[in-house]
Amino acid sequence: MSARTDTVLPTPDKKADADILLRVEGLKTYFFTRNAVLKAVDGVSFTVRKGEAVGLVGESGSGKSMTCLSIMRLVPTPGARIVGGEVWFEDADLLAMSEQDLRGYRGRRMAMIMQDPQTSLNPVYTVGDQVSEPIRLHLKERGERVMAKVMEALRAVRIPQPEVRVTQYPHQFSGGMRQRVVAAMGLTTHPELLIADEPTTSLDVTIQAQFVSLIKDLQRESGTSVIWVTHDLGIVAQCCDRVNVMYAGRVVESAEVRKIFKAPQHPYTKALLDSVPVKGKKKKRLYQIDGQPPALDRLPSGCPFWPRCPHAMDICKEQYPPKTSAGVDDFVHCWLAEK
Amino acid sequence: MADLILEVDNLTKHYRAAGSFFASGTRLVRAVDGVSFAIEEGSTFALVGESGCGKTTITKVLLRLEEPTSGVVRFRDKVVHDLTGPDLRAYKGTVQAVFQDPYSSMNPRMRVIDIIAEPLKVHENLGGAALRNRVGQLLKDVGLSPTAAALYAHQFSGGQRQRIAIARALALRPKLMILDEPVSGLDVSIRAQILNLLVELQKNYGLSYLLISHDLAIVEHMSHTVGVMYVGKLVELASKEALYSDPLHPYSKALLAAVPQPDPDLPMAATVAGEVASPINPPPGCRFHPRGHHLDRAAIGDRKAIYDACIREL
Ligand SMILES: Nc1ncnc2c1ncn2[C@@H]1O[C@H](COP(=O)(O)OP(=O)(O)OP(=O)(O)O)[C@@H](O)[C@H]1O
Ligand SMILES: Nc1ncnc2c1ncn2[C@@H]1O[C@H](COP(=O)(O)OP(=O)(O)O)[C@@H](O)[C@H]1O
Ligand code: SF4
Ligand SMILES: [Mg+2]
Ligand SMILES: [Mg+2]
Repeated sequence: MSARTDTVLPTPDKKADADILLRVEGLKTYFFTRNAVLKAVDGVSFTVRKGEAVGLVGESGSGKSMTCLSIMRLVPTPGARIVGGEVWFEDADLLAMSEQDLRGYRGRRMAMIMQDPQTSLNPVYTVGDQVSEPIRLHLKERGERVMAKVMEALRAVRIPQPEVRVTQYPHQFSGGMRQRVVAAMGLTTHPELLIADEPTTSLDVTIQAQFVSLIKDLQRESGTSVIWVTHDLGIVAQCCDRVNVMYAGRVVESAEVRKIFKAPQHPYTKALLDSVPVKGKKKKRLYQIDGQPPALDRLPSGCPFWPRCPHAMDICKEQYPPKTSAGVDDFVHCWLAEK
Repeated sequence: MADLILEVDNLTKHYRAAGSFFASGTRLVRAVDGVSFAIEEGSTFALVGESGCGKTTITKVLLRLEEPTSGVVRFRDKVVHDLTGPDLRAYKGTVQAVFQDPYSSMNPRMRVIDIIAEPLKVHENLGGAALRNRVGQLLKDVGLSPTAAALYAHQFSGGQRQRIAIARALALRPKLMILDEPVSGLDVSIRAQILNLLVELQKNYGLSYLLISHDLAIVEHMSHTVGVMYVGKLVELASKEALYSDPLHPYSKALLAAVPQPDPDLPMAATVAGEVASPINPPPGCRFHPRGHHLDRAAIGDRKAIYDACIREL
């Protein structure tokens, strides 16, 4: 275990750990704009084990979606480019393989539910047509078996009366049902990895709870690994086994979920937890993180959190803190942890 | 009992929606259907409920942007919809609103001083140094530097723009502020700044708030009394303490139980089946009954008076 360091070289023991499904190492995705290079993802590393639900939390713009799109190799082009790092899916580096080989993974062994269900569904095709697409494309099913699989998928996401629903169009579905259809499309191929990018932000509370419990059930039934992208600490606590906290394009802390909530190491993680009101806990005044999240074109030197950090020291302003290991997969990037 | 600043009595607002592909002719959208509540001076009253249940429609009626279909709104004993001329102008200064999206609620190409001064010029005929001083003070009150006055709105972050929006709302020394999702458009780390500011301003300016938020933890933190809405109806009205410790209406229970708690040791959020009903052809009786939960009459006890409205619906 001690050999697991922050080196980005593909060392053999990386593959030794049999229950690791995905390992992201030093991932860098930059935007090349006319005036600047924006480091949207700047050295992201984390691990997803088989059957594990891993949270990616952080505020808007911290690089969560770009990290997911990079794993799927779906970054928006032109503009963005993956400029470094590795994404190991079991023993294959997704970033190093051909587009041809990638087809054996994307949509098949790993699927993504996008942030906005509106953009994932085409208004002019029926729901049945859209759910059948991955079944034809990836499972190479034809004829009656396609419809059987579509029904199975819609039933799995608890769409009532699927026989009626398949002939309807997305606008005839409620927001919660549309999001379930998008999930059904992702799940038809029984992927080993499901990436859900803020799948519930547009849903109402009771509908969100339905969706969350649905994904949890499916995960339990089929042993799927899930990456939950969210800024909702409640969802993280209820859904994730492990949490990666992102700030300004980097994972600043990675730990098992109870550790994140009970003994957070990084000052940003702590501040975030203290700043939200919690049901039943009376706080006279909320802890407030002063300042603003940094803009990518004006990142502070050193640790990007230092202008807002109550513990900032001189060294924080000069050098980015190295990775401090805090358990098997756990780590934190903070000069305090180095002390 | 404290004085009431606002009383909403049996307020109803129906819209006519164009017929759809399936149903020709116009259909009635029962956006708000017989809602009553009151806000005490200096307190925070929160409205919660899922998207489309009628919260924003109520605020539109309060702000005189919409006429009620029926029912009465009284502001300090004056019937809001009878106000005209100078009385109406005074009312519009006294009741101000801050909305969710600080980007769309102000012109990014306007300078901050003009954004904040606009209502002061119109309502108070203020100008010159007096105006500049007032704007400077307002900026200080919301935690910005008075030098911000010279900059343009687009030069500010979301949180700072929300501060500017609050400064503008405060300019006419309002008594009642409507806060419609005031922090949901902001970054997570910025929300606490704005919530703390709002609590501070309430004290310093003696404000009453009507808060709308889908975040029930924020509502618990900020409010004194809460109204729970479901498809145009107010299904429960209670003090914050009573609602959070002992919600009575099945929908309030479902709503509170559905919120995932930021604590991995607490059980998973409970789910209630079914979709939120439509305000076009809402279910008869209690609009929540198709989702399979029923009010336990025995449990209501001495809070019965408040629930009469809800019980009658059953
Ligand atoms: N001008 C209008 N014409 C027709 N229907 C309307 C109009 N304005 C609102 N509605 C309908 O009235 C109902 C209540 O809308 P309202 O905006 O008050 O909801 P809300 O509780 O504020 O929801 P949200 O949480 O999404 O902001 C909705 O069904 C909405 O579609
Ligand atoms: N098309 C684009 N051009 C330039 N910058 C972009 C573009 N898309 C995203 N970004 C920037 O990349 C960063 C990370 O974005 P994203 O991964 O979407 O954040 P998150 O999902 O955490 O909110 C942000 O600062 C964002 O502004
Ligand atoms: S490295 Fe320094 S500035 Fe950054 S979080 Fe740690 S203590 Fe704060
Ligand atoms: Mg995103
Ligand atoms: Mg609204």
